[in-house]
Amino acid sequence: MRAYQDMVFSTAVRLTANPAQAEDISQEVFLRAYESFDNLRSSPKAGGWLKTVCTNLTLNHLTRHRKRWRLFSEVFSDDTRDEELESATAVFDTVFAELETDERSALIGQALERLPDHQRIPLVLYHYEEMPYQDIADRLGISLAKVKTDILRGRVAMAALLAPSGFGAPAARRRAPSPNPGAQP
Amino acid sequence: MSSRDQFDEKLERLVGQALREQPPRRAPASLEARVLVEIAARARLPWWRRGIASWPAAVRAPVIAGCAVCVPLVWIASVWLATRLVSVVRHPGNTGPLASVRDTGRAIASLGTLAIHIGQSIPREWLLGGLIATATLYAALFALVALGYSLLYPRTEYSKAQLT
Repeated sequence: MRAYQDMVFSTAVRLTANPAQAEDISQEVFLRAYESFDNLRSSPKAGGWLKTVCTNLTLNHLTRHRKRWRLFSEVFSDDTRDEELESATAVFDTVFAELETDERSALIGQALERLPDHQRIPLVLYHYEEMPYQDIADRLGISLAKVKTDILRGRVAMAALLAPSGFGAPAARRRAPSPNPGAQP
Repeated sequence: MSSRDQFDEKLERLVGQALREQPPRRAPASLEARVLVEIAARARLPWWRRGIASWPAAVRAPVIAGCAVCVPLVWIASVWLATRLVSVVRHPGNTGPLASVRDTGRAIASLGTLAIHIGQSIPREWLLGGLIATATLYAALFALVALGYSLLYPRTEYSKAQLT
């Protein structure tokens, strides 16, 4: 358990942005692993099994509250402007150029946690879990177009959250979303 | 490729790189203790309060068989009841104990006849409806058992305070 607990907790907390919920989910993952201990004990795929179960349990947990964030996902259309994309790219360029890895990781982690659910969840599934757009759409029960829009807007919003730290152009700052009410500091 | 696509692609690459270099979050120190406490608590539960998968085979098999025959029994009981009601309505004076036995025998016999002619006399839509009704009954039975189990034996949540 000690070998995998950080990985399992990270998977849950990145999706939920809530350490207390992530701890509950991690506990359930390891209880299920205990029930399947005979099969997992000597399996080289134990880590993958734990990650998959953790992702599924977390998404099940989040789906219970889906109506709250799905509404936002379905209401807004993709109105991301070209200059916002350019500005967001500039922000990340600057972050990579000017910050050391540790400092950069801390800032990026904070920005990710502050994203609203409907942007953070597909973004995490795409970049961390490497799920294709269609799989994310199927899993979350939203359209393919909205998945792409939410991920794009999530990236721009992350840049906007980094902008107050002194990176990037003013256009990114204008798009800063309100902090996620579900996230804990 | 348009400039928008170029920026889109570059932004995806940069965000992906930034996210992937994130170190794993350290799990809370209380997590391991919580898991161990919950495992110990579950181990103390008697078998009949655990999931059916962990029940002894000698108990599990009869329970599954009982559930499997439950729906046919409901059908038979329904037919018997309907026949009995029709009998009572048609022959209101003929309701003694022997009449009940006779009616039951007739109902069971009619079930055999019904089974023989069922494919010929009942429209396929009705058969489909019967199958759906059967599946619904099984689903309702399963939901009822699950609901009863969750109400009678709610999961124990362990707070951090209990662990300290």
